[in-house]
Amino acid sequence: MKKNLWIFCIPFLFIACSNNNKTVINASGSTTVLPVISIAAEQFMKTHPDVKIIVNAGGSGVGINQVGAQQIEIGMISRNITEKEIAQYPNTNFVVIPIGRDAVVPVVSSEIYDAGIKSLSIEQLAKIYRGEIANWKELNGPDKDILVIDKEAARGTRHVFMEIVLGDKEAEAAGADLVLGANNEEQTAIVQSDAALGILSNAWMNKDVKGIAIIMPNGEIIEPTLANIINGKFPIIRDLDLITNGEPTGITKEFIDYILSAEGQKIVEENEYVSISK
Amino acid sequence: MSAFQNSIGRGYVVSSTYLSIAIVLVIFIVLFISSYDAFSTVGWKIFTLEWNPSKDKFGVLSMIYGTLSVTFIALLIAMPLGVLTAIFISEILPEKFRLYFKSAIELLAGIPSIIYGLIGIAFFSGWVSSLFELATGRTILTAGILLSIMVLPTIITLSEDALHNIPKKYREVSKGLGLYPFETITKTLLPIAKNDIIGAILLALGRALGETMAVMLLIGSIDRIPDPFYNFLAPGQTITSKLGREIGESAFGSLHFSALNAIGFLLLLIVITLTIITQFYFKKEDRL
Repeated sequence: MKKNLWIFCIPFLFIACSNNNKTVINASGSTTVLPVISIAAEQFMKTHPDVKIIVNAGGSGVGINQVGAQQIEIGMISRNITEKEIAQYPNTNFVVIPIGRDAVVPVVSSEIYDAGIKSLSIEQLAKIYRGEIANWKELNGPDKDILVIDKEAARGTRHVFMEIVLGDKEAEAAGADLVLGANNEEQTAIVQSDAALGILSNAWMNKDVKGIAIIMPNGEIIEPTLANIINGKFPIIRDLDLITNGEPTGITKEFIDYILSAEGQKIVEENEYVSISK
Repeated sequence: MSAFQNSIGRGYVVSSTYLSIAIVLVIFIVLFISSYDAFSTVGWKIFTLEWNPSKDKFGVLSMIYGTLSVTFIALLIAMPLGVLTAIFISEILPEKFRLYFKSAIELLAGIPSIIYGLIGIAFFSGWVSSLFELATGRTILTAGILLSIMVLPTIITLSEDALHNIPKKYREVSKGLGLYPFETITKTLLPIAKNDIIGAILLALGRALGETMAVMLLIGSIDRIPDPFYNFLAPGQTITSKLGREIGESAFGSLHFSALNAIGFLLLLIVITLTIITQFYFKKEDRL
């Protein structure tokens, strides 16, 4: 027994090593906003050594719920708060602070992109998600079943996309084959497949995950470029927001002001989102 | 040891036993209370296919199907493999290697499930999709196979203990009667260790039913029963993967939250039912 007494010292060691004097800000929510906030938090903590900012993922729904339940100071969201969610938390006064703009882009595996599918109309996207088109052949692509990737119901990217494509932000997608969560999880699935169609934020594209253009009803083809997001031509765009309970105060306000400053907005642009000032 | 010390020891043992029973009861009661909302609002419609929280539709059939089929695949693979490995380590392997083999296998049990999940996503799902020429490797079968690897150490270690604990005299007697080693194992040792091996499988079953992280990453998370229903090469959903994906998004106290508690309660019921059936079916006979 005496030999093992040192084990009881471990908790005290942890307590002794932790610095309790730091002010802690907790942020969590949308994985679309996450890269911006985590880099901004790193920079902010360099100039404010007495502040600790903890950034977590989870999706817009998680951000709203945790701010609503007053568990965290800052929620990151990439969609509007629904009326149901506001009604759920009567004691919380949600304040929404836009920090940037983004597009939700339909993306395909590079194999499909290289085979010539570089644009789709909203109608075609709707048919794919409803399950009426199941093979790329029907869209003049290769003879492969479409692996339709849907997202978890409370995800911001899904709300924005479904609102415009299926007309209802909580529409069911009968044609879906997989339901995934965070942007990076979906990115992985699209890279691994050679016939996938998914929905991603504009900043998550790369050489294996290709964003495709949208054919407007008048026949115009709109590429998902930053220019088209800035001038509002691309049909599926959204604000990226932070939410707080009541107007932010103290160090939380300082952090949010930093993100809204020229320096903070540079981080937004470096992550391929559009600065709020444009 | 004084009588006083003795009574402290007794009190400690008894109270910790009651504490574990109490914890099970509290979990059961809390789950039931917080799922009551869902059961009373949704009623028997809970046994339908459609799950859409925004429209207050909470059908759990596809998740129950997914949980049972994933567990079925996992045990189908892990049971024979585990028991045969246990026989090998206990009866065939020279005694001096036994501990090395056992600790290597027990290491498997110590690997966190998220690591299994990551390996599954990075490599295993890719192999499954190219082997069966599927659009995606995130299927019920993939999750089931991965799960079988995860429950394997439980079955091996406990079955091996059961076999190893059989006194030497049984082996000597059956050898003396002229039985081959194969007959000694099947006719003498396995019947004696039967109950303990079933206990091992039961524990593995519990882990398979409750495993969340690895299954959640690998199963595709779509609320659907494949067509036909034995097509395990299609994505699905288990109760635990549903909970893992949605519990953070549901507001505390909402009907959605209550429905998620309700599927947790159903999972607990499934575990309890299976345990009782097994216990009842293989009634403990008197051991040696």
